[in-house]
Amino acid sequence: MFLNMVNWLDDRFGWRTIWEAIFLRKIPHVNWFYTLGSATLFLAILQGVTGILLTLYYVPTPDHAYDSVVYISTQLPAGWFIRGLHHWGASAMVVVTVAHLLRVFFYGAYKYPREATWITGVFLLLIVIGFGFTGYLLPWDQKAFWATTVGTRIAGVAPGIGDWMLRIARGGPELSAVTLARFFGTHIWVLPASLATLVLVHLYLVIRIGITAVPSRKEE
Amino acid sequence: MSKSEESNVGRRDFMKAVIAVISGVIGTAIGLPAIAYVVGPASKQETDTWIRLGAVSKIELNKPTLFKTIIETQTGWINAEEQFSAYVLTDDGQDFTVMSNICTHLGCRVRWIPDQDGFFCPCHNGVFAKDGSVVSGPPPRPLDRFESKVEDGVLFVKRG
Repeated sequence: MFLNMVNWLDDRFGWRTIWEAIFLRKIPHVNWFYTLGSATLFLAILQGVTGILLTLYYVPTPDHAYDSVVYISTQLPAGWFIRGLHHWGASAMVVVTVAHLLRVFFYGAYKYPREATWITGVFLLLIVIGFGFTGYLLPWDQKAFWATTVGTRIAGVAPGIGDWMLRIARGGPELSAVTLARFFGTHIWVLPASLATLVLVHLYLVIRIGITAVPSRKEE
Repeated sequence: MSKSEESNVGRRDFMKAVIAVISGVIGTAIGLPAIAYVVGPASKQETDTWIRLGAVSKIELNKPTLFKTIIETQTGWINAEEQFSAYVLTDDGQDFTVMSNICTHLGCRVRWIPDQDGFFCPCHNGVFAKDGSVVSGPPPRPLDRFESKVEDGVLFVKRG
């Protein structure tokens, strides 16, 4: 009866084919370094879940941001845990993404026919760094404020367009409520949308082309 | 050959089970705290506080008297001030009945109209008698009452 229903649904959705394409595809004999991509994806999902939970309480305005973060960490049940996961997950995300990139680089896995996978991966790394940069400001404490002051000043020293980029990043000449709001909007809408889109392309390419074998020393 | 096939299936099923268990553990470790985190503020118990209303000497016999006071409240991370008001009624200057001025229908503020000897709600024409009982209109129950106490001639009400 249950099996009948599953089959009926599969006739319509065809999810078995998709499941087989994703999870039962043939792969070469590989090692643990090949799990770094999945680890990155896992962390990205974890950051998404904990990030969504944080937005239930966080308020991105100068007069509420810090207090709402303190409220999350000290007043809410498991608030310290959810925020802690997001906080440490952010650092882990950068570390694991870079480790994944290094694995691909040293195994030469970026070569033909996987150049497009590599390029989308590089953009994904930039997005991850963007997440880190924008997320760092959101607690709106001294560390956040000055780190973003410095970070945007770095954009400001670019020749010619520097001042213009600094103003766009800050939404004006100084760090302000405008900066906090645009960093928040970028952090929870622009970057997640970009990340999700590129991850889909990246995964599609990984599945379509297949993954590389561990390179052998032998000349063949 | 058939034996190795069998053990291959066994390995695959074992891995499936391990993955399911690990996923379950991770899901629970995040899911349960997440539920507590989301419902936390809803289940927070308010502590009882005694609110100072004012001197009992201001209260006339048999005439509902409105007391207003400012109380400090904390909602989330915001400390704010809120106006608290209640009607006080006494027929002997000893026992005090403290009634909420919030209509039991849909929460509008009721007002005591001395000429008509009743509390009137402007929203849906609810009318309450002097003791808070319903005279007419949609209110489902009498005006809520507060526990009160008098200390050194000052009236306090309990808000929980």
